[in-house]
Amino acid sequence: MSTLLPETISDALGIGGVTGTFLGGVIGAALVGSFILVNTAVAGPWLKRKIMASFWEKIGPNHIGPFGSLIMVADAVRLISKELVVPEGVDRPAWDLAPMVLASSALLGFAVIPMGSILGINVQLADPEVGLAFVFAVASIASVGLVMAGYASNNKFSFLGGLRAVAQNLAYEIPLILTGISVVIFAGSLQMSEIVAAQSQTLLSVGPVDVPAWFGILNPFALALFLVANLAEVGRNPFDIPEAPTEIVAGYQTEYSSVYFVLLYLGEFIHIFLGGAIVATVFLGGPAGPVLPGIVWFLVKIWAVFLFTQWCRSSLPRIRVDQLIGIGWKGLLLASFANLIVTAAIVGVLAV
Amino acid sequence: MSLEQPRQRDVGVTPDGELDYDELADLLEEYLLDREEHMNAQGFVVRPDEVAAVLETLREEAGFDHLSLVTAQDYQDRYESIYHLKKYSDPTHELSVVVPTTRENPLSQSAAPVFETANWHEREAYDLVGIEYDEHPDLRRILLPETWQGHPLSSDYNQDQPQIVPLREQADPMEHKTQAPDEQDAMFVNIGPHHPATHGVLHLKTVLDGEQVVDVDPDIGYLHRCEEQMCEQSTYRHQIMPYPDRWDYISAGILNEWAYARTAETLADIEVPDYAQVIRTMSAEMCRIAAHLLAVGTFALDIYGDFTAIFMYAITDREKVQHLLEDLTGQRLMFNYLRLGGLAWDLPEPREEYFENVRNFCEYIPERLEEYHNLLTGNELFQMRVLDTGVLPPEKAKDYGCTGPVARASGIDYDLRRDDPYGYYDELEFDVVTRDGCDNFARASVRLEEIRQSARIIEQCVDLLEDWPEDEREIQSNVPRTLKPDPDTEVYKAVEGAKGELGIYIRSDGSDKPGRFKIRSPAFCNLQSMEVLAEGEYIPDMVAALGSLDIVLGEVDR
Amino acid sequence: MSKEQELHDTLEQAQSTQEARMGSGTDDRFNSKLREAFGASPFILTKFDQFMNWVRGNSMFMLLFGIACCSIEMMHTYATKHDLDRFGAGVPRASPRQADVIIVPGTIVSKFGPRLKRVYDQMPEPKFVVSMGSCTVSGGPFQEGYNVIKGAEEIIPVDIHVPGCPPRPEALVYGVLKLQEQIREGESAPVTVKPYELEEFGDLERDELVQQLANEIDEDDLVMRYNWVDSP
Repeated sequence: MSTLLPETISDALGIGGVTGTFLGGVIGAALVGSFILVNTAVAGPWLKRKIMASFWEKIGPNHIGPFGSLIMVADAVRLISKELVVPEGVDRPAWDLAPMVLASSALLGFAVIPMGSILGINVQLADPEVGLAFVFAVASIASVGLVMAGYASNNKFSFLGGLRAVAQNLAYEIPLILTGISVVIFAGSLQMSEIVAAQSQTLLSVGPVDVPAWFGILNPFALALFLVANLAEVGRNPFDIPEAPTEIVAGYQTEYSSVYFVLLYLGEFIHIFLGGAIVATVFLGGPAGPVLPGIVWFLVKIWAVFLFTQWCRSSLPRIRVDQLIGIGWKGLLLASFANLIVTAAIVGVLAV
Repeated sequence: MSLEQPRQRDVGVTPDGELDYDELADLLEEYLLDREEHMNAQGFVVRPDEVAAVLETLREEAGFDHLSLVTAQDYQDRYESIYHLKKYSDPTHELSVVVPTTRENPLSQSAAPVFETANWHEREAYDLVGIEYDEHPDLRRILLPETWQGHPLSSDYNQDQPQIVPLREQADPMEHKTQAPDEQDAMFVNIGPHHPATHGVLHLKTVLDGEQVVDVDPDIGYLHRCEEQMCEQSTYRHQIMPYPDRWDYISAGILNEWAYARTAETLADIEVPDYAQVIRTMSAEMCRIAAHLLAVGTFALDIYGDFTAIFMYAITDREKVQHLLEDLTGQRLMFNYLRLGGLAWDLPEPREEYFENVRNFCEYIPERLEEYHNLLTGNELFQMRVLDTGVLPPEKAKDYGCTGPVARASGIDYDLRRDDPYGYYDELEFDVVTRDGCDNFARASVRLEEIRQSARIIEQCVDLLEDWPEDEREIQSNVPRTLKPDPDTEVYKAVEGAKGELGIYIRSDGSDKPGRFKIRSPAFCNLQSMEVLAEGEYIPDMVAALGSLDIVLGEVDR
Repeated sequence: MSKEQELHDTLEQAQSTQEARMGSGTDDRFNSKLREAFGASPFILTKFDQFMNWVRGNSMFMLLFGIACCSIEMMHTYATKHDLDRFGAGVPRASPRQADVIIVPGTIVSKFGPRLKRVYDQMPEPKFVVSMGSCTVSGGPFQEGYNVIKGAEEIIPVDIHVPGCPPRPEALVYGVLKLQEQIREGESAPVTVKPYELEEFGDLERDELVQQLANEIDEDDLVMRYNWVDSP
């Protein structure tokens, strides 16, 4: 098993002991965090607009920088430099904490994601034995953030948005995790590196091409289930119900401006990427792929999931909140249980 | 196909389908004070305390089931409310019920218990003219702020007096609303006037129980820009024509202009050359396509949330039709193309090129519609959202005076282009699209199909225009420079606008400007049915229902 | 008195009205707190302010806001053919808290005036206003209406006027580009006190009208008082 990023850093710095572990952890976390933030910065203000623009047959930002890419700088700085409006009657600590909770919960999830290696360095911060459980646990803290934002804003639209968010996350968290468990049964471990390793065998060879034993290929049904549940988890069409611009203005983010709005917006995008990272790790062989370094493949996979969410967003209608709950509790939950039981049975038969 | 039950012969209809006013007068003998001659129909004058009984009798016995418009006006010596009645089965059967009241005591019985649609019409009459309606369920101001002083369309109004308008952050609905079943659980939400789903500046006072709508009260008037006053201050010949463009401003300009043209041409007895009628028909149908495209696009916007592909595609296609209209009229949105007795100018040169562009567009429309059907009506998620939501039963639709695609989606086979033909429509072939679904889905699909029918009409017009002999291309008949219709001539005429029956009532006062100019706005009547559509639905369905009604605030508020 | 003298007097008068309305502490929308602290204009701060102006001039969120006819052309401007987003100005946000620019696309009537002011107030600084169409310049074709406010500038400060009825999308794009240019140069319309402001009802002068309405409106309700005679 390869060394983790903090150890690599502390070895390179030549500091051992507790200080070394601490420094290595902090620097490693900063690196990984920045890496993810750069991705969201590219996605949020610029690439998302370009992608949507091509769905809509228009051009998107193209006037500053190459392909309009400097809009990233302009948008980010402008949003941060705006006046922070604190509306009357907001519930102060909760209102301030909510954006941070949302953004940090998603970012925390990346701590255990194996992002492959570059130049021989394995980019993974930690590899606890309960890795997958950790990711799900951390990611679902976001629901708390949403409720806080919705409740504390002293705005009825926000309140409705917050309530919708929590109802939605409850309905979809369980199928999401159950589907994840079916993979755990296959891999026999919750540890992320084990899950990736379990997918590295070759399933079958078609001529010169080796088809890897990714769980997404072994069990496409689980992958589909997971992708749908994940859309609901990150709140994108057809499940963008907590935000629902034409119904409840901007949902839980209605009253947020300036830096807090940036944090909420970032949080959403990090969540999409975290969802992508989980899909990549659990179903698509993690950073595995031919020729290119692992981290590039990892990026390709999370961006593919991102593209998928944007595709859904621009072409699928939003369903109604009661329909969403119905689909979650009556449809996906059953399907994910069925998936779990069938998987368990197959694994059991194979083991015998 | 109509959902309506076949009924025995109505009183007042001769065996060959003509209206017999004498028989109607006999029916109403006990109420009738006098009979007036209006240009479109006869007016029966009745006492102000017998309005409900008269209308009830006319509806039950004589089949006048469509209260098209309530006009209020003030004369030197009296106030007058006119109820313009029609039949959904045959809109050429018209009757006006004239209710005079004294200036000292302008109190008249309300028609709202008979026709739901009278509710808002009478509120408007109270608001603008100052007639009070007895037994009206909810007589408040509708277009102007509640603290407004005076009634601006009455003759003694001083326009320069200051006004104070309050900004009430939150009205407490429980003060005057008792419909909310349990006050503890209900939540009051102001949706609008600035809200992404209200298609402009509509304000929905909504009482929610959880996510479900308990009660909704549309609050309009945020775009009341005095269109009727503007028209009353302008001369018939040229000055009024630009205003109709701004009622239903979603590129439906020529349809609106035609409403004024038809009324004023009837009033002043002006003939319009056939050639001009064909061009009017063609351009009006282009406007209908543009308006319906936007309706479908914004409906998709409401369902899909945020700007989405369908909205963008609809706008792209609108650009195409706007190009054609711009070539023809010189403007993208506010055309000002019709003139009394004809048109501003002929088709653009070279004609062949223009015809080719139009033909290409007509061929492009059906293939494009396939795509819309794939994206919208064929989409299962979309069906899940819109089927059986926002149901408007046909009886209710008639009660609320709904017309246009909204009525046709409730199975009411009513289209003035066919039933009360004008322009060149009676020579052309097209189908009136109806659906029996009565829901949001039906309304969207009626609009999509009407786009196809409009393209058919345009093609036929192009065929006609191409073969039109060059020396008969007359675009304008002889109209005097100043029109002065005889005093006290009254006329009410309607055309099929993009949203439904768009009617105009004009009373001349002998000068070159109308004495009273009243607009029958289809969106105003359709919007009233909101309370039926939204009740018990979830917020998203209420938003979808609003989108499917396709209101334009410029026309609602005028 | 010669014609020129007359013109001159009119201009003078106009300026003094503007000054009267401006009050003190105006137009500091661009100046950073740092500059106030340092007093002078050191090189770095100047560069920083230039950078900030570049930022604000190149990226703006619009408020998703439709009033009347012009909003149709505004939608076309956002959409495929004209694509305002090319200039970094095509993201409509539904909530005023997240918007930088409000395009006022249509006639403002008495009932909507207080709401427009409220929406404008809800936007965070620095904020800019593009008024679209003749109605927002002067009331347009409806200027003589009993209910129509004679231009958006009666209620909120306007940076750019785009005339037309309605302006073509090209004109709106031009207007937005002009606004961006203005911001990049560090100019903005002075935030002035407008003739129609939201006031508490209790603060109004006790004239006949106020007496009449005293029963209907609470003392601390916000109201807007329209003096139509004084309108241009």
